[in-house]
Amino acid sequence: MSKPALMRHMPQIAHVDVNCFYASAERAFNPSLEGKPVIVLSNNDGCAVTRSPEAKALGIGMGDPWFKIAPRAKEWGLIALSSNYELYGDISSRVMELLGRYSAWLEVYSIDEAFLGVKGEPTHLRTLGREIKDAVRAHIGVPVCVGIAPTKTLAKLANKWAKNNPGFAGVCHWESVPTAERQRLMRSLPVIEIWGVATRLTRRLNALGIHSIHDLAAANPVMIRDRFSVVMMRTVLELQGSPCIPMEEERIGKEKLIFSRSFATPITTAAGVRQVMSVYGQQAAARLAKHDQQAKVLTAFAGTSHFNPHDTSYPAVCVPLPMPTADPVLLTRAAHALLPRIVDGIRYARAGIMVTDLRPSGNQSPLSLFENPHEERHIGTLLENVTKRYGRGSIGLGHGGIRQGLNWTMKRDMLSPRYTTHWDELPLAKAG
Amino acid sequence: MSVVVGPRVIDAGVSLVSALLSPVPVAAGFPSPAQDYFDGRIDLNAHLIKDVTSTYVVRVSGESMEGAGISDGDELIVNRALRPTDGSVVVAVLDGELTIKRLRITAGKVILQSENPRYPDIEVPALSDLTIWGVATRCLHHV
Repeated sequence: MSKPALMRHMPQIAHVDVNCFYASAERAFNPSLEGKPVIVLSNNDGCAVTRSPEAKALGIGMGDPWFKIAPRAKEWGLIALSSNYELYGDISSRVMELLGRYSAWLEVYSIDEAFLGVKGEPTHLRTLGREIKDAVRAHIGVPVCVGIAPTKTLAKLANKWAKNNPGFAGVCHWESVPTAERQRLMRSLPVIEIWGVATRLTRRLNALGIHSIHDLAAANPVMIRDRFSVVMMRTVLELQGSPCIPMEEERIGKEKLIFSRSFATPITTAAGVRQVMSVYGQQAAARLAKHDQQAKVLTAFAGTSHFNPHDTSYPAVCVPLPMPTADPVLLTRAAHALLPRIVDGIRYARAGIMVTDLRPSGNQSPLSLFENPHEERHIGTLLENVTKRYGRGSIGLGHGGIRQGLNWTMKRDMLSPRYTTHWDELPLAKAG
Repeated sequence: MSVVVGPRVIDAGVSLVSALLSPVPVAAGFPSPAQDYFDGRIDLNAHLIKDVTSTYVVRVSGESMEGAGISDGDELIVNRALRPTDGSVVVAVLDGELTIKRLRITAGKVILQSENPRYPDIEVPALSDLTIWGVATRCLHHV
């Protein structure tokens, strides 16, 4: 390689995302859907939000309303499913947990995609990409593609390329592709295809003679900053190979917040993990408070190094909190549920917590002056138990208890079983 | 003395057991000498599931695996991260269905065996012709 030694070990970014995530999660538990056109509908069975390649081939567009598709569904052999959020949420968490084993530097970008910090020789990175792809497919059951490049923007582009070009077999390491080929790709794709370029900006870019990704990469970053924004300038620099969009270790979204680090020296005792859990519990509490949010579920996990094939251990627990909370004491105590799983003597290279099912905290505070918290807690537990046993909507307080007739309760007429979160809905395996 | 019961522990979204976490004594009278010895109740998840990330629970439908102690309605703990070997009880994908069989790999032959004489074995040319969904590690048999 002609590159100086220093350059070869610059950190790179791997972008991993699940192909047609919702449809793939359904197929993982219902293999009969494999090869058939499948769509998953949005809230209230409104429109198609995920389409399998077979469904795309039928001409079904992203966001096409179900009432327009429905009349032809039978003739097409199309399978339409309601959004099974319980299933997708669990599969997403599993994918992220698995990805976390490959890098301490994980940014969960959305329910089905993540960025990972990776390092090493091109051959190593290509192997790592394939390993990640094979592991997620085999261990979780959903297909992913991987793009690896010096910047997030290029990693996303590499991933897209891997998805659309079977020659890559799902994994594209940007710098392993000959320069001429990369240039050809960038010339062939319009700017709208790049991460961070909105539709409304494309016309203005086009007016400046910038049509393809290649044109944007060749633009003067300062001119772009003056005419557009710092954000667009970063995109230009990232396309040129300079990392400008930093990794975010935690990201607040409507779904989850993760705190995870790898340790410089492995931790080998439960006492050590307890300390780490306490730190994360408080960090999570602080972050939730800052964003005025509370969490309903906490997951705590630890793991041995991916590079140490002996004594592997990946303990994890998922703790439903008694009530939505941002209380550091409650969160830390919940995280300590991991401790009985920690085996003294095992070398844990990383640990973390994830809080999920986040909701705004403002909802209940004005009333809390008048509440008896214990009373409140008992009712909450009772409701939870009843709901667990008899299903959602079987009991509730006030309007929440009315079973039918309210138009805000979500319609999910074509819901598949919640295979991994409900004991009564486990996947069936035939012994016949 | 009273204890505060911690949150219920569940795993992989599927709750197997409830566990009592770190009892916190409230100052009242002499502390229990048992306090120092309490490390939590037995947690089935910890003993039955080695890798929560890649473990799923499936429910058995049918009688072809009776001989292996796997009955209709039992639950199987299936780890997708394990490599199947000769003798593994596997969940394989057959005709679009998750199907439980005993995997037999002998010289030049791969057989999906039933554990009930009333059900035939299935012979496959090679392991690569099979989609193994996961390897069963435990059966929760209803007695």
